[in-house]
Formats: sequence, structure tokens, C-alpha cells
Amino acid sequence: MTPDRRTTVATSSSTPTPSRAPGQAPAIELDHVSRWYGNVVAVNDISFSLGPGVTGLLGPNGAGKSTLLHMLAGLLRPSAGRLTVAGEPAWRNPSLYRRIGLVPEREAVHAFLTGFEFARMNARLQRLPDPDAAAAQAIRTVDLESAAHRQIGTYSKGMRQRAKIAGALVHEPTILLLDEPFNGMDPRQRLHMIALLRAMAAEGRTILFSSHILEEVERLADEVLVIHAGRLAASGDFRQIRRLMTDRPHTFRIRSSDDRALAAALVAQSAVFGVELSDGRLIARIGDYGAFTAALAGTAKRAAVSLYEVAPTDDSLESVFAYLVRR
Amino acid sequence: MTIFITLVDVTLRGLVGRRRTVLLVLLAMLPIGLALLARLGGEAPDAAAALDALVVRIVLPLIALVFGTAALGAEIEDGTAVYLLTKPIARLHIVVAKVVVAALLTAALVAPSALATGLLMGGGDEGLAATLAVTPAVIIGSLLYAAAFVAVSVVTTRALVIGLVYVVIWEGILAGILVGTRIFSIREAVLGFAGVLAPDAWEGGLEAAQAVGLALVVVIGGVALGARRLAVHEIRGGD
Amino acid sequence: MTADATPRPGGDPPIPSGSIYDLGYRGYDGPRLGRRHAVGALFTHTLLSCYGIGRGGRAKIIPFVLAGIAVLPAVIAVGLVALARQAGQAGEFITDASPIRYETYFEIVGQIVALFCAAQAPELLGRDQRYSVLSLYFSRALERTDYAIAKLGGFVVALLALVLAPQIILVLGLTLSSPDLAEGLGENLPKVPPILAQAVTLSAVFGSLSLAIAAFTPRRAYATAGIIASFIIPPVVAEIAREVTSRDISRWFVLASPPDVIGATNAFFFDIRPDSSVIAAARHPGELYLAVAAIAVAACTGILIRRYQRITA
Repeated sequence: MTPDRRTTVATSSSTPTPSRAPGQAPAIELDHVSRWYGNVVAVNDISFSLGPGVTGLLGPNGAGKSTLLHMLAGLLRPSAGRLTVAGEPAWRNPSLYRRIGLVPEREAVHAFLTGFEFARMNARLQRLPDPDAAAAQAIRTVDLESAAHRQIGTYSKGMRQRAKIAGALVHEPTILLLDEPFNGMDPRQRLHMIALLRAMAAEGRTILFSSHILEEVERLADEVLVIHAGRLAASGDFRQIRRLMTDRPHTFRIRSSDDRALAAALVAQSAVFGVELSDGRLIARIGDYGAFTAALAGTAKRAAVSLYEVAPTDDSLESVFAYLVRR
Repeated sequence: MTIFITLVDVTLRGLVGRRRTVLLVLLAMLPIGLALLARLGGEAPDAAAALDALVVRIVLPLIALVFGTAALGAEIEDGTAVYLLTKPIARLHIVVAKVVVAALLTAALVAPSALATGLLMGGGDEGLAATLAVTPAVIIGSLLYAAAFVAVSVVTTRALVIGLVYVVIWEGILAGILVGTRIFSIREAVLGFAGVLAPDAWEGGLEAAQAVGLALVVVIGGVALGARRLAVHEIRGGD
Repeated sequence: MTADATPRPGGDPPIPSGSIYDLGYRGYDGPRLGRRHAVGALFTHTLLSCYGIGRGGRAKIIPFVLAGIAVLPAVIAVGLVALARQAGQAGEFITDASPIRYETYFEIVGQIVALFCAAQAPELLGRDQRYSVLSLYFSRALERTDYAIAKLGGFVVALLALVLAPQIILVLGLTLSSPDLAEGLGENLPKVPPILAQAVTLSAVFGSLSLAIAAFTPRRAYATAGIIASFIIPPVVAEIAREVTSRDISRWFVLASPPDVIGATNAFFFDIRPDSSVIAAARHPGELYLAVAAIAVAACTGILIRRYQRITA
């Protein structure tokens, strides 16, 4: 059910975006899924489908991200709707875990196991033919080799996160679900993890991770799902989403050889709502993104002005998110 | 099979090697200490009565309670159960492994306690018979209590208190007053099994057939209930 | 979000601007109730949460079930007596022979109280420690000692309620069912002071002991097991010591067993011979048990206070 107030945001999320291979069954599919606890609705009528690649699940705390991920991991039963992972329902389906890996948000791990032992335990429980090798490989992948033989109880928060991720990777799942995976990681570890996840996605895996930190999502995700108060507020490429919000003016920052002259020329156009001159820059607020960008070069030329810099100032995920969340 | 061993290994390591184990060992040694005291004092008490009062009524249920509710309950409570549940293994395997570990640990503490206490108490042939009869009985009792308490720990986080209420009120008080409830009391079954091996020393427990019946019901029922509830166990996210 | 410079009309130099959204947060400058009220509030909250009141349905199950079991014999006894009086002469016989009397009731209900302590004391103290809210408490007008005392007070009063409820039912029931009200009052009222004295002693001893144990661990399971062990094991030890060692040694074991001490004070207050053979064999004067109870309460309270003075919040 699309949010009805601002129909300018495209949320027909059952159509796969072009980056997914057409005709392939989606790895994750939700159809009007809801989950409530008594009177509290944690997930409210959400539908989308995902295929290979990295998707970010973005939303403030309490939005329902963890609930959604746990339903996908077969740990919660949907109160309504249909939820399938790799074509099968996730609830009460232990055999599906061969293909899914979950990295939960909660910090708790078996503290008395070493990192390697934890990974190996996961490998053994996954019925892998060579658990030791798989565990060693997973430890290597998350860059935990130096501490692999210390007890997890002695680990820092970031190391613990990596141990959890190693545990989820041992069986090379085709679908990986991560709940706030970058919690506690320092920037270097984060970059490493981002690179790892991108590499895995390039191999054809489906990766869904949740976060409330916008920079991470911006950097890692091909697509985003914005979830707020249990509802899906938007989905797709966030730049595309931004473009679809036509009732909100875009803002461009322009540096040119003659700001004032350019400003006068721009104001004459219907696509332009307003201009401001400040501090060596021209700020233009525009309505129709496409029309403006197409006409800008011509306008400048006719006004005999050279353009030095044209940059959108609010094309960040942050502004998109802020807008969506404020609704 | 490796699955089973892995589960047993991780459960074992989680239960042992903590403060709680030290305290439980002390508890198991309490009857031995008292028996020692008795011998030094030169008295020759009734071995069966002492074993009943100390080991069967106190040490066995308390130790079984702690291990039984912690085997799976502790992992559910602190959030590490998710790593066992998100694996392609039947929930039944998990429950069976937990019950086995809890039973083994309990028996490992209680059986030597019963044996040593009984031998120290002496009491001649009769005392020896009583001791040798009650030791296997408490091993069976460990299994029964473990199955029951693991099952309860899947259903509720307050399994320890509920188990306590069962032991103190149901087994302790009610079984004395309402004779019919004896057939639902694990303690009576343990006494019954001891009575099978040494009828003179251990009167008053359940009949052999009743004891076996209760044992089967508790073990099979407990494991089945635990597995079923674990299959629909929900883990909420933090969000 | 970049804070863009907003040019002012007329071409003045731009001033960097930002926005603060007034979410309606207001400071409070009014009068504040002081420390006494804080202590009172925590006391009341503790008392209510012992019975799960104010905490949602599931928290009420265990305390109410235990309270129900504690009250049940009294209800049965009153019912029986009422029925018996209707039958006439047989009534006298039953009231005298009934095992459920004021003097015996504390022993009947003793194990229930122990279970209640084992179930609820860890809840009272453990949850605050586990979820690290102690720092929130201590940053209020509430001192660390106040916290401990308020919790102790609330818990002891909760136990008092548990222990007195059946006795009240007995008193009212037996009085009202006697054929002559004045006679009924005459029989039952004199029992009230010993009932109160014993109830206070029992609640104070069991309450302070349970809290002293529960204060040392945030994990409910450890505290529960520890509390129940402290109630179940010492009596058995005392019993066995009596059987196997000489009188001079074994009589001191009794003093370390809370249920036996309470049983002895019961006998002292009601001026009867103690039921338990262990107590009888020990042959201590009743006042000694009372003194031991007082010392135990003081010691446990001291341990509790000290624990909270030193705990890292």
C-alpha cells in the first residue's frame, strides 16, 4: 500500500529496479507483511522484493528494522502477509538456514569461545564438510586472524562484531542479513567491511543491512529501503528518490563568472523558484530538475556567463531521509 | 553426530567453569560432610533416611534445577540462543543435547554425593543396600528433572522459580497431603526406582510400573514439548 | 547538512545561521519534593512491585499464586469451623483439634514465604543492577543508604502483608463464627499481639536475609538459588547435627538456621512448647532466639547498606 499523502514518491516497490537481473525470482519477497505486538504495530503493511546486490534498510530507532530482519531470518512470525526468502517462507523452516546468514544486533556471543571456535561452531552446525577450513577462511575474511585464538570475552566491540560476521559467513550464504553491522567499528574496520560486502554482492549475493547512520548507507548500498514507524517510506536509488520529490525544490550551488547576470537569466525561467546571491555563490531553488539541468548550459551561454561549478546541495541521503522522516 | 557433539560441547562449556559450578559442588559435598561428621561422632544413623532427606530431597532437585534451567534458559536470556536457532538443525536435536548435558552434569555431582554419603554412613548390609539402590535412582532422577526443567525453560524465563515452586510445594507439601498427586512427583519416582532395587530400605515410593510410566512420560513429554516450543520460539530484535 | 549562509536583504554581509527547533522542552523551576518524598516513593513502589502491581499481568502471577496458597489453609479452616458450628456440638471439637491455628500457621506458611522471598527479592534488586539504572537513582535526592532502606522497608512490609493476611482471616473468621461475639472476641483478641510480634519478626528476618543475598548479584537465577538454599539447608544441617553430634555442639547449629529461629520465636511469643524436636533439644531460652533474630536483622541490614554504599553505579 503506497503512502497516500505524497504520491510523488514512487513506492511501487514490487517492480525490480534495472540493476537486478530481470526474470529471476527475487531472493527476498515481502507481500503486505505486518507484525504487531498487541496494540503496537512494529511493521505495517510492507511490500518489496530484493535481488542480488546490497540494499540498505534505513530508518530511525524504533522504525521496525530489526523486526523486519528477524522476520526474514525466520525468528519472528509475520502477523499478516506473505514473506518468502529464496522462494520459501522463512518461519519454521530450519533447512533454509543453509542459505541465509544473520548477524544480529545484540552484542551477546558465547564469551568463553575463541573467535575461531565460534566460527567453527557455526560451521559445524551448518553441516559443512570441512568446518575448520571454513572457519579459518571466515576469520581471514573479516581480518580477525591475530585475535582468533583469544576468548571473545576479551574482544573489543568492533572485534566482536567481526566475530559475529565471521560466524554468519562460514557457510557462504546467498542471502546475508545484517542488523546494524557497523556498530562499534572504527573507520578502518568499517571501510574494510564495506569493501567485503561489496565484493560479496558482486558475486551475486543478496545483502540486506540495516542502519541509522546515513553515511554508511550512502557509501555501501546500491538501493535503500527507508522505513519509518513501521511503514515503508521509500525504496530505490536514493538519488532517484530525491528526483521524484518534485514538490520539494532542489537546491543548486553555482559558481560562475557573473553570478548576478546569471541570476537574472535564471529567474526568468519557470523551472526556477528562486535565486539567492551570497558570498561568491549563486543558490538556485528549482522545481523541475530535468528541465533545469537541460536548460542551464544554454541559459548561461546566452547570458555570456561561464560556469565554474554546479553542485546540488541537498542531494544527500541525509536530506532525503530527513524529508521522508519528517512527514 | 558432529552436530550433537558440537551442541553438547558448547552447552557444557557454557554451564561449567563458573561461580555457580563451584557453589553446586559445595552443595553436593554437604551431605558428605555431614556424613563425615556423623562417623566422627560415632553415631550410626539411618543411612536411608539421611540419604532421602539430604540427597533426594535437597541436593538432587536443587542441582538439577540450576543446570536444567540454565542449559537452554541462560542462552535464551542472554541472547546467544540465536546462533543455535539459525542453523539447519532440528529443534529436537537442540533440546535433546541440552537435556543430556544437564542430566549428565547433575548426575556427575549427585551420584558420587549419594554414594559417598551412603558409604560413609555405613549401616551394615542394609545401609549398603540402600546406598547402592539410591545411586542409580538419582541418576535416573537427574534425567527426569533435566527433561522437565529444560522444557519449562523454553516456555518461560522464570523457569527457576517455577521449578522451585514445583519442588517445594508440589513435591514437598502436596504429595504429602494429597496422596493421589504422588504419581506426578519425580521425587516419588526416584524413591520408587530405589525401592525396586532395595525394597526393604526404600519403601514408600511409587510402584515400579508407575515409576517407569512417569519416567517415560516426563522424558518423552518434556523433550517433545521443549522441541515444539523451541520451533515456534520468537526472538525479537532490539529495534 | 550544510548550513548555508543566508544573505540578508540589502546586501549586508551574511551571518552564518542555524536553526533550533523548539520541541517543547521546558525546564522546571517549581518546588521539588525532597528526600523524604523520594524515599517514600521508592518504598511504595517496592511494596507494590513485590506483588507485581504496576508491572503488567505476567509479573502478578507468581506472587499472587503464592499469596493464594498462603491464604488457602486459613480460608479452609474458617470454612470448616463455620460448617462445624452449624452442626452444633461438634464445632468445639474441631476448632480445638484443627491443625490450622494461629500458633501453627507461621510454620505452615513458612515455606511459602521462603519461596516468595526467593522469587521476588532478586526481582527487586537484580533488575536495577542489571539494567544499570542505579546511577539514575543515585543522582536524585535519594542517597545510597536511602535506596537500601527503602527497598528493605518495602519488601518487609510486603512480607508482613503476606504473613498477616491469613492470620487476619483466621481472627475475623473465628471471631465472627463464634455463637457469642463477646466470647469470640475474648478468645481471639488476646492472640493478636503475639501474631503481630511473630509476623514482624518473621518478615524482618526473612526479608533482610533475602535482600542481603540478592544484593550481590544481578543475575536472578543465582540470587534465587542462594536464597532458597539459605532457607532449606540450615534446618536439615541442624537436624542431622542433632542426631549425630553431641548436644553441646549441635545446640548451636540451631541458631544458624533461620526457619528454626523463627519457629522458636513463634513458640516464645505464643508461649507454647516448640513443635520442632531440634529446638526442643537445644534448650535455649526464648529470649536468646529473639536476640539472635534481632542481631541477624541488624547484620543483614548492615550488609545491604554497605553493599549499596560500595556498589559501582
